[in-house]
Amino acid sequence: MSITWKRLASAAVASALLLGGLAGCGSGNSSDNDTSTNFHTLEEIQSSGTVKIGVFYDKAPFGSQDSTGTFVGYDIVYGERIAEDLGVEVEWVPVEAASRVAFLETGKVDIILANFTVTDERAEKVDFLNPYLKVALGVASPTSAPITDIAQLNGKDVIVVKGTTAETYLEANNPEIKLIKFEQYTEATSALQDGRGVAWVTDNTEALAWTLQNPKFTTGITTLGPQDTIAGAVTKGNTTLKDWLNEELLTLGKENFFHKDFDLTLRPVYGDSVSPDDLVVEGGKI
Amino acid sequence: MEFELLGEYLPLFARAAWLTLWVGLTGIACAIVVGLVCAVVQHFRVPIARQLVSVYIELSRNTPLVVQLFFLYFGLPKLGIVLPSTTCAIVGLAFLGGSYMAEAIRSGLEAVDDGQSQSALALGLTRGLTLRHVVLPQAVALAMPAFTANIIFLIKETSVVSIVALPDLMYVAKDLIGTDYNTREALTLLVAFYLVILLPISLGAAKLEKKVRYAAFGS
Repeated sequence: MSITWKRLASAAVASALLLGGLAGCGSGNSSDNDTSTNFHTLEEIQSSGTVKIGVFYDKAPFGSQDSTGTFVGYDIVYGERIAEDLGVEVEWVPVEAASRVAFLETGKVDIILANFTVTDERAEKVDFLNPYLKVALGVASPTSAPITDIAQLNGKDVIVVKGTTAETYLEANNPEIKLIKFEQYTEATSALQDGRGVAWVTDNTEALAWTLQNPKFTTGITTLGPQDTIAGAVTKGNTTLKDWLNEELLTLGKENFFHKDFDLTLRPVYGDSVSPDDLVVEGGKI
Repeated sequence: MEFELLGEYLPLFARAAWLTLWVGLTGIACAIVVGLVCAVVQHFRVPIARQLVSVYIELSRNTPLVVQLFFLYFGLPKLGIVLPSTTCAIVGLAFLGGSYMAEAIRSGLEAVDDGQSQSALALGLTRGLTLRHVVLPQAVALAMPAFTANIIFLIKETSVVSIVALPDLMYVAKDLIGTDYNTREALTLLVAFYLVILLPISLGAAKLEKKVRYAAFGS
């Protein structure tokens, strides 16, 4: 009896501490002037000599690792240029879709350049830069059983990656679709190949890139949902870094940087199936 | 902490808790069967089967559940075998848990002093009666702490089944964090629900251990 009561008591104390701790972080985070320790300002980054950029590691051609472990892709070229103009070294931090906000909130990265679609919910938690890409949703499905209309998905198993705009959009607009959710893009594509869902819904850029490389699959719907933009993001309140990066976008716009980036990283994948003007945003302005 | 959110998320977590419990308990039931068979094979030194069991136990105890699930869910389809998520999770738990259960049961059986069964036989009990009334009660008592520890361990291990797209507690928490970014609320409920599931089991196990201890000779 006494052992039981002791254990109950210690469990209760532990839970109270834990809940108290979590609630405590809550009150700290909600006041704006308290978050200063959560990010590095422009000056701090420049004096430390390193900028930490969160990127995808499994999402070619935007951010992935080649066979030698080097990060490559459209987002990486952009990040390298940022580091160069900041005059610092870059440290790539691999992130997953669902953890992008958390990485910024905890200051584990300075900038996220991971195909981050701008949404209102996300804008409450992080500060978005001006955009560098345009995007809508796309639906990838087997060439043998192509999905060309969203109505074909009703009541079916559909694959999405957790924390993506595809998940939010389908849950809000097509609740009759049964979503199978994965954390990594490679898990989602693997599941699609194994027939665990009739389709994979994700950004049209990703769907097109992947289906062009996997001829047994096709992007039967190339534009679904609203036209969104993709932008870099910094920790909420890191205005010095945000302003510098938006200024940088204007400079890059003058030299048509993202068209060159497109030619370098995206054209080898998309060929002529996508025009750069359909995707690329120069100077941060649509 | 926004308390209205906790209320809003509660039904989602409750549904996930049922799934966690269901998958966990079914997996554990299968693990006990696997463990019992393996322990008996090892205890009575059944030829060939005994070697196979040792290979299985080493393989199962020295690979993480995530890897086993990955193999079942993403690996087997490459060989043409597509198992549903739930099956993968239960098979994975049974595969992992079976070896731990086998070791627990075997240790119990082996810890009963040989003099006990010899004395029982000398007093005229048959082999069957000796096993039932002398060896097994003591073996069960001796194995019980390891056995209940395994049950709790296996329920906690279910927290990785979300990689096979099963909407368990971990899956729901990560999903909410990824879409709503209410990390604190989701994590609080996650911890609370695991405690709600595991505390009663843990306390029940402590009671059970006490109850069967009478049978352990000399303790």
